[in-house]
Amino acid sequence: MSAREKTGRKVDGDDARSEILARLEAAAPEPGEPFQRVPAPAMPDDPTSLLGARLGQNGGVLVTNASATDWPTHLDLPASPAAFAHVHCQAGTALPEHGVASRGVGLEAKAVHDLSPLDLCVLEAEFSVVENGASWHVPASALERGAALLAEHLVILTRRSRLVATLHQAYPRMTLGHTGFGWFLSGPSKTADIEQALVLGAHGPRTMHLVLLDD
Amino acid sequence: MGHVDRARDFVANTERTTWHDEVLWFVRAKRDAAADTLPEWEALRDEAAGIKRDVLGRLPELWRRFEQEATAAGATVHWARDAAEHNRIVHELLRTHDVKRVVKSKSMLTEECGLNPHLEAQGIEVVDTDLGERIVQLREEAPSHIIMPAIHLKRGEIGDLFHQEMGTPAGLDDPDELTAVARRDLRARFLAAEAGITGVNFAVAETGSFVVVTNEGNADLGTALPRLHIACVGLEKIVPTANDLAPFLRLLARSATGQPISTYTSHFRAPRADDGNGGPPPELHVVIVDNGRSRLLAEPAFREALACIRCGACLNTCPVYRRSGGHSYGSTVPGPIGSVLAPSQDPARHAELPHACSLCGSCSDVCPVRVPLHHQLLTWRSHLAESGHHPRRRRLAFRIAARVLSNAGLYDRATRAGRWIARRLPSRWLDRLGGPWTRSRALPSIPAESFHQALAAREEERP
Repeated sequence: MSAREKTGRKVDGDDARSEILARLEAAAPEPGEPFQRVPAPAMPDDPTSLLGARLGQNGGVLVTNASATDWPTHLDLPASPAAFAHVHCQAGTALPEHGVASRGVGLEAKAVHDLSPLDLCVLEAEFSVVENGASWHVPASALERGAALLAEHLVILTRRSRLVATLHQAYPRMTLGHTGFGWFLSGPSKTADIEQALVLGAHGPRTMHLVLLDD
Repeated sequence: MGHVDRARDFVANTERTTWHDEVLWFVRAKRDAAADTLPEWEALRDEAAGIKRDVLGRLPELWRRFEQEATAAGATVHWARDAAEHNRIVHELLRTHDVKRVVKSKSMLTEECGLNPHLEAQGIEVVDTDLGERIVQLREEAPSHIIMPAIHLKRGEIGDLFHQEMGTPAGLDDPDELTAVARRDLRARFLAAEAGITGVNFAVAETGSFVVVTNEGNADLGTALPRLHIACVGLEKIVPTANDLAPFLRLLARSATGQPISTYTSHFRAPRADDGNGGPPPELHVVIVDNGRSRLLAEPAFREALACIRCGACLNTCPVYRRSGGHSYGSTVPGPIGSVLAPSQDPARHAELPHACSLCGSCSDVCPVRVPLHHQLLTWRSHLAESGHHPRRRRLAFRIAARVLSNAGLYDRATRAGRWIARRLPSRWLDRLGGPWTRSRALPSIPAESFHQALAAREEERP
């Protein structure tokens, strides 16, 4: 590399990096006092009702009395899932006998952008958190990540054996160091930016159901 | 112009001030209710404060680790010493990717750096996608609250704005309908954008990940669609491990709005997966920004403010913020935390902010990471006085006060003379002497005798 090339932007960047790190070294305070870690709280006696209450606070709906073969009949949607033209189902979540299967743009989309008219997206959580109604999900593809956001209605399936009490139990269960992208989804997209009036469906799903299935 | 002058228009509208005060106090009450659901709440605050104090001593090590892990995952890490360098890096990335349309999710850091005007001057369209931020962007205003950017506006004003900007019927002011219109407008902008810019709530050294939280999902849409994601992060935002996220995420939304968690808590580490639709591969860039943070770190009296997680709880509880509105502060971040941070950035410009405070201590009581906010505000007052940032009139007043208060005889003569004069002056003259203090309140009537005289008289009357 010539001297001239070395004066390019990359070298400036290195200057900024070393200068910032030097400033931080110079300004660093003495190590902080040792502190107590909060022990992970135990699972509450009635996890289902707490999960339902917390999800409800987020604007979501917990479905508790459904089975793996009939859950679509328990959803409170403006139309039956069979009536939707565009559906995306994560692998393993489809129930064709109840009209829940990928179709329309949910089947044919080539790019994330094609998914904008999506009616319904069905995902399966890796686990769900009782204290706040959040479900951990790692999208299998760019399309699945987009589908969860662009759909009008979101359904997440989870299992009783996959409930954890709090976020303290949640993080050790993930492999964040190997996950390119993962998220907690805990309700419909919402805003209260106009006079603090709650509106569901700010940009993404207007409804969100969490379906709690037995194992 | 100081805080009192900038607040004048806001406080002149009593109806608005009352509403603002009450709605923020309601949010504060929701925070209390959420905190009360967790018996371990105070211990969580201790843990979060402990992690942050530990982090402040290890920033070089943690950021080196973050850089190493994020780079290994396929992200590109940039370093910016100040706002100008940050803006230059972001613009250069957009330019080399030939980006003309950008969607941005809420980031107080990019507000602080003035990124939007910088990019707009280069012919790039920047759309703020958080509904509240979009509203203030269309009004060409700054956010008045760090998580409720348009809390200073009433629905009628937003309806008028949408009528002008998006062609809604005149007089439409229903939040559901207005939000639906904004959703349609912004959906098209998300689909058309060539890059998404986000802030960062937490960076994780151990994994090279970073976390962005929103309720609207706007940061998610803005990064799921375009192929280029630029995340801008302040030096203070790092935690050592993924497990450290738990206490902060348990505290953040509960402190902010009383929600158990935000709707979307997204963990980014690598560029987004390719959707296989051709085109260049998606890219993820992280810009690490100093812009005065290392200077604050070097200040023992104020460095703990770097623990702030931008929940806004101190704004919601502050009696001054609630009644004067965010724009009265004239700083990117308003409220108690803003009044601590701003004088460090520009002491001359923000010297009045530590005085926009009654020292009631409510901010320190609600801060999830135990920043001693009201102590820091008091300390700022003396620092700014010592460095000559007080107005000449106040400096003179304090010099006189120091002389009089340190000499009993002088004090007695001065107060005797003061009472004699004050009792003979018309009250409107007196009120003028009080400056901003008596602009909208009257001084109490001046007693004929001093406290000492009154006490002595009482002692004599005693049986």
